[in-house]
Amino acid sequence: MSDDYLWDGGGSPGPDDQDVVKLEQMLGQLRAPLPAAPDLNRLTQLRSSHAADATTTHIAYATVRFWAPALAMAAAIALMIAGTYRTLTTGDPGPTWEVERMDGQPRIESASQSARLEGIGRLGVGQTLATDHESRARLDVSTIGQVTVDPNTRVRLVSTREGRHELALARGTLHAFIAAPPGQFVVNTPSSTAIDLGCVYTLHIDEDGSGLLSVAAGWVAFEYKGRESFVPARASSRTDPALGPGTPRYDDTDETFQRALERFDYDRSRTARSAGLAYVLEHARSNDAMTLWHLLSRTDETERNAVIDALEKRSPMPLGVTRDAVMNLNRAALDFWWDSLGLQDASWWRKWKGPYPAKP
Amino acid sequence: MLTVARQSDAESIAADVKAVARGDREAFTRVYAAYGRMVRGILLGRVPRRDVDDLLQDVFVTAYLRIGELREPAAFGGWIATIARNRATDHLRRSRDHDQLPPELPGGDAVEADTLIVLDAIRKLPDAYRDTLLMRLVEGMSGAEIADRSGLSAGSVRVNLHRGMKLLREKLGWHADE
Repeated sequence: MSDDYLWDGGGSPGPDDQDVVKLEQMLGQLRAPLPAAPDLNRLTQLRSSHAADATTTHIAYATVRFWAPALAMAAAIALMIAGTYRTLTTGDPGPTWEVERMDGQPRIESASQSARLEGIGRLGVGQTLATDHESRARLDVSTIGQVTVDPNTRVRLVSTREGRHELALARGTLHAFIAAPPGQFVVNTPSSTAIDLGCVYTLHIDEDGSGLLSVAAGWVAFEYKGRESFVPARASSRTDPALGPGTPRYDDTDETFQRALERFDYDRSRTARSAGLAYVLEHARSNDAMTLWHLLSRTDETERNAVIDALEKRSPMPLGVTRDAVMNLNRAALDFWWDSLGLQDASWWRKWKGPYPAKP
Repeated sequence: MLTVARQSDAESIAADVKAVARGDREAFTRVYAAYGRMVRGILLGRVPRRDVDDLLQDVFVTAYLRIGELREPAAFGGWIATIARNRATDHLRRSRDHDQLPPELPGGDAVEADTLIVLDAIRKLPDAYRDTLLMRLVEGMSGAEIADRSGLSAGSVRVNLHRGMKLLREKLGWHADE
């Protein structure tokens, strides 16, 4: 079969292309001109009302939030054992990813050697892609997306197989674009694990292991030692080697709000933490309910009452949820409240469980 | 030259996406024309044929309403593909008839049973192969177009086409030497 014909139907089909031709003829019956684009007059009205009221959709958040870290951990352990066994018994380095030099002189390093990347190369499991201050490179994440690696970055391919791909970012910056169901692409850092839920994001890690995750589209689950953040589009979350992921906040919050949140998350002084929390609770906007909800499980009992009050002002406690249940961090209560926040387009959680929803 | 042309195309689409966010109607029509077939290929792999065009409209309505959430115009292809997949999943959940497609679909053209058997086989392939094959074989997009629209590399699209064809042959009981 010729590459050209399957690629674009170019040239005359050879004998081996006959099944492609047959499929084109059969499936061509399903082809039709595109219908007219949607009516923009109606859409413009809808867009105005959508901006004014973003509380129409609900997400069921519990399944991913509570199972994602456990699933990620189990899969990572299984892959590590399988990979080690294969390497020891067969010497097979396993599958590789295509890597392309974009600028400067990136290097591909393994335990025994380091080689300059010229043009296009392959990155194997266990190998590290390293860029200096002026080099950049692009990685194909199997066939599900791409990662662009900025200067001064070290990233290692931990494992790759259909349905599961894992990198370790030691330091530097990567930009990930993933077109796959949730949970297939994972990036480990010294202070967190980023689990892709179908999205576009940037992850930066400093030399000391601290860093920042910024999501452009979709969602990313950010987890470390049981501390979790779920970061939606247009939001970011810091991470710290001692404490793991910080509380996520939207990028259009002002700098004072962001500094206050960081003080609450990471300052060692209880007074500074309390001051940071007080500022956040007082100045949160209605759509910062996402941030406030995360604070419920990050505060102690003496602080949590105030968080509940602040969240309730922005998003009333749903029927069936009690203050006592939230104070006790009852899982179902927290989930009900999250579901009522009206965060848009989070039906990704269903895809986490499989390509089709379960039969009713 | 080809690379330059593609880059220019990508820049032009990115500019259109930004213009849509500002409410530019002509830009919206251009974006719809550029991405409509990709979205339809994704939907056809997941929902009954009779529902595809309605959902196609829904997906672009959703994209138009939420385009302000998209920080990187260059990521539009992946973003709208995700909307399409999620919309298809929602639709299946609501309609509850996703596991049995009748051979004659009301509202659709009469299509030979063999074609529907092939379509059903493609629908059972992994996501990446299913989407790529339907864009290529039903929507008539070239590999380069699929790469440009989806945001995947040309190499990934090529691999998806070849692996998808291999799996499809196995599912249909076709063999390369036949």
